Amino acid sequence: MRNRFFSWILFLSGVVLLIFTLIAAYREMTPEWKKYQAQYKEQIIKTAKDNAVRQKAGALASEVQQIYLGALNKIDRCVSCHIGVENPMMDNAKLPLKQHSGDYLKNHPPDKFGCTVCHYGQGRATNKKEAHGIGHDTHWDFPVMPLKYIQSSCTQCHDYEMLGAKGYDTIAKGAKLFTEKGCRGCHKLNGIGGALGKKLDIVGSQPIAYFPMRFVEGERNTYNWHKQHFADPRVLVPESQMKISVKPEETDLLATYVLSLRSGEMPKDYRKIKGIMTVGKPDEGEALYKMFCIACHTDGKQSYFDEIFNRTIPAIVNKAFLKTADDKYIKKTVEEGRAGTQMTSWKTAAGGLAEGEINKLISYITKERPSAKPERFNIAGFKPDEKRGEELYKVRCALCHGKKGEGELGINLRNPVTQAADPEFLALTVRDGRTETPMPAFGKKGIGLTEKDIADVVSYVKTLSKKK
Amino acid sequence: MSELKQSGIDSFKHNIKSAFKSFASSFLRSGKPTSDRSRAAAVFNNFFLHVQGVKTHINTLRPAYTLGLGLISFFLLIITIISGVLLMVYYSPSIEHAYNSVKDINFVVFAGRLIRNMHKWAGEGMIIFVLLHMARVFYTSSYKNGRQFNWVIGLALLILTFGINLSGYMLPWDQLSYWALVIVANIIQSPKELTDSLGITGFFDIGGFSKELFLGGLTAGKESLTRVYLLHIMLLPIFLFIFLGVHFWRIRKDGGLTKPDVFEPKAIDAALIALPEKKGGIFPANKTYGLMELAHGKTPVVDRDVENTVLSWPNLLIAEAALFVLCLAGVIVYSFFIDAPLKELANPMIPENPAKAPWYFLGLQELLSYSAFMGGVGLPGLALLGLGLIPYLDREEQHLGIWFSNKQGKRVAIESLIASALVIIGLLAFVINFGWFRSWWPNVPQLLITLINPGNIWVGFMILWSVYVIKKTGSTRMGAIALFTMFLISYLIYTYVGTELRGPNWDFFWSRSEWPIH
Repeated sequence: MRNRFFSWILFLSGVVLLIFTLIAAYREMTPEWKKYQAQYKEQIIKTAKDNAVRQKAGALASEVQQIYLGALNKIDRCVSCHIGVENPMMDNAKLPLKQHSGDYLKNHPPDKFGCTVCHYGQGRATNKKEAHGIGHDTHWDFPVMPLKYIQSSCTQCHDYEMLGAKGYDTIAKGAKLFTEKGCRGCHKLNGIGGALGKKLDIVGSQPIAYFPMRFVEGERNTYNWHKQHFADPRVLVPESQMKISVKPEETDLLATYVLSLRSGEMPKDYRKIKGIMTVGKPDEGEALYKMFCIACHTDGKQSYFDEIFNRTIPAIVNKAFLKTADDKYIKKTVEEGRAGTQMTSWKTAAGGLAEGEINKLISYITKERPSAKPERFNIAGFKPDEKRGEELYKVRCALCHGKKGEGELGINLRNPVTQAADPEFLALTVRDGRTETPMPAFGKKGIGLTEKDIADVVSYVKTLSKKK
Repeated sequence: MSELKQSGIDSFKHNIKSAFKSFASSFLRSGKPTSDRSRAAAVFNNFFLHVQGVKTHINTLRPAYTLGLGLISFFLLIITIISGVLLMVYYSPSIEHAYNSVKDINFVVFAGRLIRNMHKWAGEGMIIFVLLHMARVFYTSSYKNGRQFNWVIGLALLILTFGINLSGYMLPWDQLSYWALVIVANIIQSPKELTDSLGITGFFDIGGFSKELFLGGLTAGKESLTRVYLLHIMLLPIFLFIFLGVHFWRIRKDGGLTKPDVFEPKAIDAALIALPEKKGGIFPANKTYGLMELAHGKTPVVDRDVENTVLSWPNLLIAEAALFVLCLAGVIVYSFFIDAPLKELANPMIPENPAKAPWYFLGLQELLSYSAFMGGVGLPGLALLGLGLIPYLDREEQHLGIWFSNKQGKRVAIESLIASALVIIGLLAFVINFGWFRSWWPNVPQLLITLINPGNIWVGFMILWSVYVIKKTGSTRMGAIALFTMFLISYLIYTYVGTELRGPNWDFFWSRSEWPIH
């Protein structure tokens, strides 16, 4: 060939081009996460107890896994490697395949919360270095948070008191230290505090560039900065005038606390609502009663049949009721509500009342409880006959409480609270009735059932929820 | 009847069998390039190839003459276009999504990171190779003899190359993008310094207006990104393609690349080319193929040098193919090992310190640190004017197509190189050690600094030195060599200083490792 020079260039560059195209394609097709997903599959197939699981694992596709969190504007691809995070079979597996520790995911399902909302790191990344944000060259401001500070993430949705009460000590103690070390003398938080130091409102979510990292030991990130800054502010910032004296073990607690001071709010849907008290309303029982109960129960002294609900609304301040029902029973009713009726469940997870608020409400309702206890029925001493109870029920009770206990004039007896109620309480109610309500006393002083009759009826009522 | 039918089916069968062949021949139109005639036809019958002559001068094929710089620039452009279109599939030009879409290109798009790297490096490679190409054209006197205007178009292409690179730099919307955008907006605003000192900003705020037009507001924000994106993918490329078309067309009309008046093929040339087979054909041995014979003026060269031409197919085409594959391989290898930077998400609250423009503008930023107006508008304007005027002020027509014209040219270039390096480094050392007017007399009027600053002194020196060279040698070409050499050296040195030696607050540091770590 006569065009030797150019032919050689063409040939050699072509070879280089081909080689690098192939290497690049190979690099693209063998990302880190594929290796972990293969291990995961292998481990499941090895440890699975039945074939169905094994087959399911065998059919797992090898692909990038991601959790799209529209409300949080996040995409977390962490589960591409941490693929066993929800799988109990991965309990003892090694990282990254290991199941998430504790039962946190039960209340924080990954498809709603993702990973980086608590753990930080770069959710979009698909290799370890960049996903964990390790090293300055990843240019990621929020590397994966060391677990010793992880409780700082809880406060995005939960309040410090609740966390303290549930044993999340690091954050609770940190928050307490903050109030006891005179921090606010110089630093403003939520607009309150001195002006000598910097404002702390969003200090926990400020990027690395805000902090002078020059003298930080170890990885240069905000976590280490905060800890070392609490140990000795002047090591990191020579011109600092910060006054602080804390024990070495307290630096982590304070660091956890300041890391919890973040900008931005979680969407309401994510936050654990802290109860109505924090909204700034009076916390008295009466106010709570007016706020939540009065629309249906009115003053609570008389029960009445409600045309719209098509059922009787019970008199909850009624003395006869209070005489038989103890606080525990009432509290259970308020917390769980009455399924099948209009009565709402008021516990924190549902209606959103804090436990203390429910207690206040109950002490208001039971304010006028008669001091005299009802005469004991002692139902445990009877051998009830359910069949007989059923016959009696049909004659005596079904008119008001419905054939299946679904309630109409009388209350719904099938609901879980009544079903779980102490039989003694039910027997007392049947025997003595409810004064000033349509529920008559069925005992000897009233309609005249014997105690054996009552015990039979109660035993039948307790089976109502199983009847169709 | 049946015979006819039979033959119809037969010919149909035959057509099916030869379908590919007839498609190929309809596509190529002139059959296999086996004879000189068909080789020539392969070029002039092809829409894409016919911008090139059917015959190419041997000098054009000598690697040491052109170094392939113009072609490399063009091939890099092709690589950026293809990779850019691929990136556009995923990129989202809004400040909410831009950064994340680039992250996704890096992390989940198949080969996304490699494609982005190729786009970035091929694009920035264009700057280097366009500048080198300009230098080659200059030093071989290829801006003369009818090619004057093409030199000006080349300058326009250089500016467009800068513009496209710059606008692309801003699209990822990371800290680099944002603060480069801020710096560039300030460069655009720099006439304000002059209007301020003249006290006419109130009536005539050209700097402020230009900045607002560029940013789509007073500060960098979502409108700025939309505008920059528009510039990057549409406006600037359209102009680039138009000018590029004219640039190529004029080369063709000027009879191909320049070559020495006296040309003797050397033995080594035989390795580069396939010598023509003298079999007659439609081309008389002493003529290039030419409709151009009909053209007016002195542009088509019809009766000189014909001896030393060879057929473009295959000689030129194989050289071009080799260069293209070389470019592609080079870009892929570089992109394989070195990632295009992507820093933190843009944050207007955290100024990068130093906030730097892209590297190719850091020379300007150094001049900008002396005087905003001169660095941003005055001196670059003057430099472009000077470069554009070179072919009109130097009209000597000897020594075309010869590197540095002659021995004297080489000496002038080396002398200018040494003189300019000494003067620039001296000026820099002076400024870094002693400061300038503002550090001596804090209340000095800004107008005085605008008029007298190291940048202006340097440009003044360039002009004086060139005039001195013209006077000494009696040749405008020598003056041009001096001027252009000094321009290149100053671009190089100022860019290096701005990139490597300037740290936070634009203070001087011997190396990046001495920067105070924030």
